[in-house]
Amino acid sequence: MDMMAVATIEHDAELMLRVREGDSQSFALLLAKHRTPVIHFLYRMIQNQAVAEELAQEVFLRVYRSRASYEPTAKFTTWLFRIASHVALNHIRDGKHERNQESLDQESDEGMSRQVASEAPTVEQMMVREAKFEEIRRAIQLLPAKQRAAVLMHKYQEMEYAQIAAALESSESAVKSLLFRAYETLRAKLAHMAGRE
Amino acid sequence: MNAKNNQCPMQNGNAEILLSYCARSLEAEQVAQIEQHLTACAECRAWAAEQQTVWAAMDAWEAEPVSADFDAALFARIASTEQPSVWQRWTEPVRQFLQGGLGWRPVLSAGALALTLVVALSIENPFRTEPVGQTVKLEAQEIEQAERALEDLEMLRQLEPPEEETSL
Ligand SMILES: [Zn+2]
Repeated sequence: MDMMAVATIEHDAELMLRVREGDSQSFALLLAKHRTPVIHFLYRMIQNQAVAEELAQEVFLRVYRSRASYEPTAKFTTWLFRIASHVALNHIRDGKHERNQESLDQESDEGMSRQVASEAPTVEQMMVREAKFEEIRRAIQLLPAKQRAAVLMHKYQEMEYAQIAAALESSESAVKSLLFRAYETLRAKLAHMAGRE
Repeated sequence: MNAKNNQCPMQNGNAEILLSYCARSLEAEQVAQIEQHLTACAECRAWAAEQQTVWAAMDAWEAEPVSADFDAALFARIASTEQPSVWQRWTEPVRQFLQGGLGWRPVLSAGALALTLVVALSIENPFRTEPVGQTVKLEAQEIEQAERALEDLEMLRQLEPPEEETSL
């Protein structure tokens, strides 16, 4: 899979091997490093912060519980996002997602005003940004779940095709076409934003 | 340097390579090829520009800050779910020993059990942070506790006959 990662055991994998030996401090280090990217990924997948954090608890609980069987056969982040994708896609597939949509608008409004307030923009800038934010959020929300996961890992986690493929248990070529289709959809909805603001 | 149609990714069904180019996921050789093509092909240039626009738009979507008590909540969940299983793992041989109705083989078996229980006691909470020296000092005390636990188990064994016998 990722031969470089296998050849030289990376730092995270080393920490995970120490967790396997019962070192809880190494687990705390791994958590400190990866909690935010995992929660952000889940937040953008589900678009609800409380649910994203709940699912992230599930992800790290699974990481901890599978410590005994952990083998550094892939990059640690690949393994981690494989668990995170699995948890997110299961959550969406089980339809728990739909119920959360009702509270979504209210919550995203709160999140937005918090984000905007710290930068103290003018009212006009704020309205433009709100509209833009809402448009992006909706465009990504409407992507099929697997395409969404691939795009989020590619764009925000800056993962390579091979890593995304391993995380989604797909082939690299399947991921390429998944990403291409997802970006085509986003392009149709977002390309008009060029030069705005 | 004119671009022939068969070199255009948009026209030969290989538009994915443009995405890889935009994502900087290509080898140097392919990058050179694409860049050469881009100088001649307005369609591909427009596509690449649009891709950058999509990414720039996505950059505007910031995620929310993480709750301050996230780690504490996780450690609490791990502690509450792990402890019984660790305890069960280490007491399982004792339980089986008692149910097997093998009878006590005082020196050997009690010694092995004491060791098992010392280990069980010292790892009862994986998230207890405690210097190594302290653990060593506690050992004598823990052996004492283990001995007492063994006495309790012996008492239990006498009170409850092995399962096989009662189930007959
Ligand atoms: Zn072209």
